[in-house]
Amino acid sequence: MKLELGYIPIRDIQFGPKSKVDNNTLYVNKKELSALLLEDEGIASVELDLARPGESVRITPVKDVIEPRVKVSGTGGIFPGWCAKVRTVGTGRTHVLKGAAVITTGKVVGFQEGIIDMSGEGAKYTPFSKLNSLVLIIQPKEGMLQHAYEKALRLAGLKTAEYLGKLAEHLEPEEVRTFETLSVTDGIKMYPELPRVGYVLMLQSQGLLHDTYVYGVDAKQTLPTLIGPTELMDGAIVSGNCVSACDKNTTYHHLNNPVVEDLFSEHGKTLNFVGLMITNENVYLADKERSSDRTAELCAYLGLDGVIISQEGFGNPDTDLIMNCKKIEAKGIKTVIITDEYAGQDGASQSLADADAAADAVVTGGNANMVIHLPAMDRVIGSIDQVDHIAGGWSGSLKEDGTITAELQVITGATNELGYNTLSAR
Amino acid sequence: MNQIKVVHYLNQFFAQIGGEEKANIPPEIKEGPIGPGMAFQAALGDNAKMVATIYCGDSYFNENTEASIEAILMMIREQKPDLVICGPAFNAGRYGVACGTVASAVKEKLGIPAVTGMYTENPGVDLFKSSVYIVPTKDSAIGMRDAVAAMVPLALKLARGEALGPASEEGFMPMGIRKNFFEGKRGSRRAVDMLLKKLAGEPFETEFPMPDFDRVPPNAAVTDMRKAKVALVTSGGIVPKGNPDRIESSSASKYGKYDLEGVSDLTDVNYETAHGGYDPTYANDDADRVLPVDMLREFEKDGKIGSLSRYFYSTVGNGTAVASAKKFAQEISKDLVADGITAVILTST
Amino acid sequence: MIITNNPLVRSTYENAHVILFVEGNYREVLVKARDLVHGRHQLITHPLMGSLKPNETPYRSVVVSDAVLDKTDADSVLIIEEAILVFDRFIKTARTDRGEGSTEKMKEDFREIDLSLLSSALSE
Repeated sequence: MKLELGYIPIRDIQFGPKSKVDNNTLYVNKKELSALLLEDEGIASVELDLARPGESVRITPVKDVIEPRVKVSGTGGIFPGWCAKVRTVGTGRTHVLKGAAVITTGKVVGFQEGIIDMSGEGAKYTPFSKLNSLVLIIQPKEGMLQHAYEKALRLAGLKTAEYLGKLAEHLEPEEVRTFETLSVTDGIKMYPELPRVGYVLMLQSQGLLHDTYVYGVDAKQTLPTLIGPTELMDGAIVSGNCVSACDKNTTYHHLNNPVVEDLFSEHGKTLNFVGLMITNENVYLADKERSSDRTAELCAYLGLDGVIISQEGFGNPDTDLIMNCKKIEAKGIKTVIITDEYAGQDGASQSLADADAAADAVVTGGNANMVIHLPAMDRVIGSIDQVDHIAGGWSGSLKEDGTITAELQVITGATNELGYNTLSAR
Repeated sequence: MNQIKVVHYLNQFFAQIGGEEKANIPPEIKEGPIGPGMAFQAALGDNAKMVATIYCGDSYFNENTEASIEAILMMIREQKPDLVICGPAFNAGRYGVACGTVASAVKEKLGIPAVTGMYTENPGVDLFKSSVYIVPTKDSAIGMRDAVAAMVPLALKLARGEALGPASEEGFMPMGIRKNFFEGKRGSRRAVDMLLKKLAGEPFETEFPMPDFDRVPPNAAVTDMRKAKVALVTSGGIVPKGNPDRIESSSASKYGKYDLEGVSDLTDVNYETAHGGYDPTYANDDADRVLPVDMLREFEKDGKIGSLSRYFYSTVGNGTAVASAKKFAQEISKDLVADGITAVILTST
Repeated sequence: MIITNNPLVRSTYENAHVILFVEGNYREVLVKARDLVHGRHQLITHPLMGSLKPNETPYRSVVVSDAVLDKTDADSVLIIEEAILVFDRFIKTARTDRGEGSTEKMKEDFREIDLSLLSSALSE
């Protein structure tokens, strides 16, 4: 399975009479896009706004961040199961508006998640402060239930990313990178001397605002399976997950999975990147047992020497993480796990909810309980009144002058457990 | 800044009240420094003044912790100090626990910085190193001069509210505090690098060491209890009446080996518990409740077990340092093997 | 059997499942579940389900087996005991509190999320 990614760098974003990419600027026709989104009968109103790196802008509550992409050749379309038919993606060529993003906001429930600051202290912790973003503020029709509203928001984000991605279909990318996964037998023939390495990607799958979708299927109803790493790059995995925003994987993260990228960069040099397995994090304890059993079997079946396991979330997912780690190590396969920590505001508490001596190689995305002070911003996109009720905020977090004192937990993607950031703890 | 006011906490011994016979005195306060307080005052110089010394008997403190702490906090609050120094306690177990408890409560309840010093194997270290600044000391008062020299600079920094560097630089025991920082490489790249090292069998450093479990894999099951020679070992403190070896009620420094020849039942006439960490009424009333000699004698008679060992071993598990417990276990195990014991029943409280 | 302090869970499932309603907080639900686990019921759902930390929601639902096992399930004991430790750690060390003190409208949403998490397990 081979995919070419063509990168079209975006250095600015503007509204304009015609949606287009010109001279590395992304222009968006507000009216046209709004009309497209209002086709969804559940949506009462759509507001569009822009946020650029370095601006004094705060976006909250963030539901998802998505990168605009388009399939230029190869089977299927971007976001299969949502925007395109359920055909296998991950081959041919895909164009990427690198440096651009779609951010969805909306108060699905009263307590709300996720802050992205485009400048100041908070900007250091979220990768999305570096992107030229189109922000969607979507209001549902009166009486719409939370589940339906969440879905409408999610779809609006995906549709917008697809709409913007299409603008790049016929553009000449500045850079093209090729990613290829060999069949198991070809890999052995080609790199007989290299260690065989796999990647276990854990997806949170527990209910409203806690879900992830694979080709349109709710991940909680799946068994662990092999999936081509390039399939992720075409949007095979979509996020519906934002509670406690620091360690939830947005759709942007799935499209740009850093473990996949870094394993590809070593592929054929120091290791043989054999494949990617997705598994879920369910509420049901029997599911945890079943999924971790299956994952370990898959790893053994592939004859892997080493595996990287990435987690999503804290608490009950620690049980999944440790089960995966223990069972894969028990097969004689070496593991490295990526997690984050809840060590308390003073950093003195036990960081994980589960632990095992088998997990002797851990990469951490940092302590999510660390307190940060965010300066006031000139402009807030979305709504600010819920900040006291954000996971990681408390009564009085939001000061009258617009400054915020809260835990790192409030910042979207701050302690990402795919290893997207450089943040760590010691 | 004005002169820093310091309150000092000591046990009865260092406060020069007396030894074990005075270990039951409740907390008291005296103006100015006493004993080690003089050394602290000398090292602090004009920067700070040792305004008062609070002292309490080690046994009293450990047996009446809540009441002691309440009284001590009240005394400290009246002095309005900028800093509290506890000990150092060296390797004195009960004293170490008292110093840790006081320092921790002062910090949490009064918001006043506190520092103490202990030998690394003092049980107070395990209990308080994550919440209290503990300076490592030698295992006895011979190390007083070094301890004072190490504690004073840290104490002054704490009193002045200065930012502290890492534990290794400031000279206190690492608290296991997690601090965020930005690495050179992103997490996924670090994971790949770590995995390559692990695969190559090279040394690598985990970013989050798992808690120390110290789990011991269980022995194979006893195949035939009817042939087993069974010994009883307890951390529940059961001793012959009068506690002939003077095993401490907490932070035990020793264990006892006692003869069961001709004993078929432990009674309140002949046995009691030395343990200070639980209500002793039921154990003192019938020590078989902790060390089931009566049942094992019955089993012996019925042929359910081969025989009961002639000796039992007992210590007190109350705040006893892991290092001490390991040492006891090594000695006891040797003894058990030499005696041809094939099964051991371990009882706690 | 569902142990819950969430009235929405009770009203949704009272005809389909045995409900043990707890008039108390999140921790009291965990403690009740622990008691049942020690009484040889098996833990069915993870007591720390969802991403809301113990200090961030007032509601909790835990499912244990209706049937009593022959002996106590060690895994269940470990998980429920660890969950209580985690709960206490969060309550002790975290300053964030948007659970007990939140508005009625918000509590409604917390009930909804708790129900959604629980039904993700029960619908299987």
